[in-house]
Amino acid sequence: MSAINFGSKQCERIRGQLDAYLSNELLVETTGEVAKHLASCVACSRELESLMRVRDALRSVVGKRLPPEHLGAAVRTRIRKAQPAFFSFLPVRPAWAIAYASLAIVIAAGVAGQQWLKVRSGRQMIATVLTLGVRDHLHCAIRGHHYPDVAYPLDELSKKLGSSYAALLPVVEARLPGFQILEAHICYAGGRRMYVHFIARGRGTILSVILTRREGEGLSAGRFLVAKTSGGVHLYDANLEGMSVVGFEARDYFGFVVSDLGIDEMVQLASPLAPPLRDALNAGTERGALPPRRSLFS
Amino acid sequence: MARFSHPTVALLESTLLLRPLSRMADFEDAAMPHLADLYRSASFLVRNSVDAEDLVQEVYLEAWKSFHRFEMGTNCRAWLFRIMFHRLHHLRRRLVKTSKVEAFASPVDEDIHVAAPQVPQDIRDEDILRALERVPLEFREVVLMADVEDFSYKEIAETLMIPLGTVMSRLSRGRRLLREGLADVARTYGIRPASERGGESA
Repeated sequence: MSAINFGSKQCERIRGQLDAYLSNELLVETTGEVAKHLASCVACSRELESLMRVRDALRSVVGKRLPPEHLGAAVRTRIRKAQPAFFSFLPVRPAWAIAYASLAIVIAAGVAGQQWLKVRSGRQMIATVLTLGVRDHLHCAIRGHHYPDVAYPLDELSKKLGSSYAALLPVVEARLPGFQILEAHICYAGGRRMYVHFIARGRGTILSVILTRREGEGLSAGRFLVAKTSGGVHLYDANLEGMSVVGFEARDYFGFVVSDLGIDEMVQLASPLAPPLRDALNAGTERGALPPRRSLFS
Repeated sequence: MARFSHPTVALLESTLLLRPLSRMADFEDAAMPHLADLYRSASFLVRNSVDAEDLVQEVYLEAWKSFHRFEMGTNCRAWLFRIMFHRLHHLRRRLVKTSKVEAFASPVDEDIHVAAPQVPQDIRDEDILRALERVPLEFREVVLMADVEDFSYKEIAETLMIPLGTVMSRLSRGRRLLREGLADVARTYGIRPASERGGESA
């Protein structure tokens, strides 16, 4: 090493502070003092310039050292592997994963909610429509007991039904094996003719087949709740007010089969009956034979 | 930092299920931008680029594992460097233990009042790389942190867990060693120092 070679004691003191001066770590007043000396001392200025040159060269060389392109991916892979297995499938940018997960949850919740509303509204609609048949059965056949112990002759029943509905009697009679038609009439409710009502006895109980006008209502809102499809006719079932009821649609009418038998047995009973009854209603029966009733929507 | 402000997402982020995702997003935004800086310094403190890659990966893995202790908004870069040097010193200690060598054998004398070495006017990249290699690690790391990574003395002291005075002396010594190395390289190639060409005056 060379011997001490400073020009003066002041140079020696200033040079002891050049490193901190270069790093901008001196107090303001000391910085001013050093700067003042440097302005008048070529040797110290050259010393500082030498320090700066080396620093800048070092910064330039080291700055050129760039990481390999795969390093970022390798780091992310190691981090992902350190995750619990559940999260290992996630993409590189977790912010996107949050967005995707959120979107999926929102969509799933929306679809589930929509389906739940449809099911609920469908069930409600079916129950409301099927209640029409159940109430007439209870009103006329069960509580009113408007049927004889001994069945009326069929021609008598045809007369009671009138020309508009007499053609339906053989259809009902033929498609309810094990049951005897006791009564068939136009049922009055509130002093107005509202329902075509067949009352039959069999299997130890009383069963009603009821036809009523559709006033813009339909069962299609609950089509995913169809109990059975028979001959192209969708059958809907429900247990309402202690009764099993199976309903179906014709063009202008609803048909109901109601009794206190089990719901599955009722669906089996209604299956062969509904298609020909629907066809007979669509083919010949005038809708106007029954007066309009109040719509369920009104 | 890209964050979702929608209340639904904010709610989801706060749930247990998505909390790890949110944490990953924070880590990505806070830590990953400093990858190049860490690699740059690491590559001059270990034997080769493969070791540097391994070191950086270890640093990030350790940072991720302890990220719950990191306070968002504070200096993540300094935190990562602290982890890196902690790891580096641990590896060196282990190496010393197994190889029975002195960790920081300093080849320099203690006289700080020696005249400054004369460095060539035109410093070539390969010269400074060669000179840097000759600077012992304990000085080299301080020089790199101060002159390349622009850390303050206080940050260096906290990162390396050494007193402020030690930072200052190591930096001074490290810079001098670097200049000496450059002067030696220049002499090897017959390059005249700047002072010899321009003359020196006080």
